[in-house]
Amino acid sequence: MGATIARLSQRPNLWPWLLLTPLAIYLAIFFVVPLADVAVMSVTEPKTSLANYERVLTGALYQQVFLNTFLTAGLVTVACLLVGYPLAYLMNHSSPRIAMLILLLVTMSFWTSFLVRTYAWMVLLGNNGPVIGLLNAIGLESTPQLLFTRFSSTLAMVHILAPYMIMNIYSVMRKIDPVLIRSAESLGARGFSLFRHVYLPLTAPGIANGCVLVFVICLGFYVTPVLLGSPREQMIAGLIGTQIEEFLAFGMGSAMAMILLVVTLAILAIYHRRFGLDKLWG
Amino acid sequence: MNRLMRILGVLVVIFIAAPLVIVVPMSFSSARSLQFPPPGYWLGYYEAYFTDVTWLRPTWNSIVIATATMVLTMILVVPATFALVRHRFAGKSLADLMMLLPLAVPHIVMAVGYYSFLGEFRLVHTHFGVVLAHTCLSVPIAFLVLSANLKGFDRNLERAAQSLGASPVKTFIHVTLPILRPGLVISALFAFVQSFDETVVAIFISGRNAETLPRKMFDSIRQEADPVIAVISTLLFVAVLLALVAPAGLKGIRKRLQARTPPAAITTGR
Repeated sequence: MGATIARLSQRPNLWPWLLLTPLAIYLAIFFVVPLADVAVMSVTEPKTSLANYERVLTGALYQQVFLNTFLTAGLVTVACLLVGYPLAYLMNHSSPRIAMLILLLVTMSFWTSFLVRTYAWMVLLGNNGPVIGLLNAIGLESTPQLLFTRFSSTLAMVHILAPYMIMNIYSVMRKIDPVLIRSAESLGARGFSLFRHVYLPLTAPGIANGCVLVFVICLGFYVTPVLLGSPREQMIAGLIGTQIEEFLAFGMGSAMAMILLVVTLAILAIYHRRFGLDKLWG
Repeated sequence: MNRLMRILGVLVVIFIAAPLVIVVPMSFSSARSLQFPPPGYWLGYYEAYFTDVTWLRPTWNSIVIATATMVLTMILVVPATFALVRHRFAGKSLADLMMLLPLAVPHIVMAVGYYSFLGEFRLVHTHFGVVLAHTCLSVPIAFLVLSANLKGFDRNLERAAQSLGASPVKTFIHVTLPILRPGLVISALFAFVQSFDETVVAIFISGRNAETLPRKMFDSIRQEADPVIAVISTLLFVAVLLALVAPAGLKGIRKRLQARTPPAAITTGR
């Protein structure tokens, strides 16, 4: 192929266009058009107007759901950071064998379907589950309802999204030159101050990566909040699903979907300008 | 600081592992509902899964859909990746961005789009429709893996082959493809898993006829939390474990074999 490319390159190079065409056609039909469909439905269903957006942006219920979605996503992001950072640190400061084992565990968690993990949390937090059992054993008589609350869905989402954070932070930590730490120590940095002024800034890119990724994925999460969350504290994706499946309100569902899409893309666009989108999943 | 981090790290390890270790004993449980620790053990739910067509059919649907998605994704992505990694042309950075964009759109938004769009063409509730939708979501992932591989490709190897008289096609088949094979395999595997695991779009468009396993699991968890799900979870878990550990095991076996084989055989064998 190389020689053909060389021969063709004397003329305006057609090769890349030829190679790209099948995918471009596919994406135009099965990615761009369905998205455009959502955009069109949001202003034409049931009649042509901006009424759907007006209702979504001013209605108390919808505002509450949006607020709840952002709060949950923020909470999950912070929790993932608090959970992910120490684990990445432990991996980076263990013997290669232990680090390998933890990496295997995290990878396994990452690759296990999140329906499986959601189900596992139902067992763990259920009324006949080990957590309630443990609380009873300690002596708590009236144990709180754990399942189908904001707590259970948040905990499960933290568990599901933590690997994204861990992988991002760990990959940055691994590249830190130990000489930097030693020289900081030789200059008198100790304990928390060493961490605060040297280690934390060095790992900041990984933290930023992980936080953006977790926040954005969490904003659009559907399955776990629907299965484990409280029906009274829905998240936006769940509400979109209800509009479409139960009420067949395509206009309202599409308007909410468009707002979710715009917010998500806005966050990623800011990220893209600073770091480049391909870094996020790399 | 160091010690605090380590203690926290160990606690997190337990947190990460807990859900994974709980589904295995649950799958052997004799309890009718969610109960842990199980009151007793039996294999009844395994039998239930392997004899119940309402579980086997979605499993089969998922395998068929994921395989077809993988094939279609690779047919589309492999040439495109060559174009984007090896050529410079106007609009390349825009094309790069387009490849990743499906990954940035929340699945629920795509689900609404497909529900309406595929509905217009009567493709909702068909295998073909689900494959078309899943391919879109697999494209960015396959592209990311493959382009990373292609960027690390030493093109001098191709030049060497051609200077020795190999035609472009021969070079591609005998040099480029074999070197890229691991990248192609992993890229295809990612496309397969993405489709096999995809839930949100499948919930909306797979319907009764093309019901996928995640959709069936979702419905089942929502309605009754059928203990059979623990069986499926365990099976999926074992599959993931095998997929992760198998390459290392194979490498070990190959090494042992190679130790006993004369070097010449190795170079021709690969």
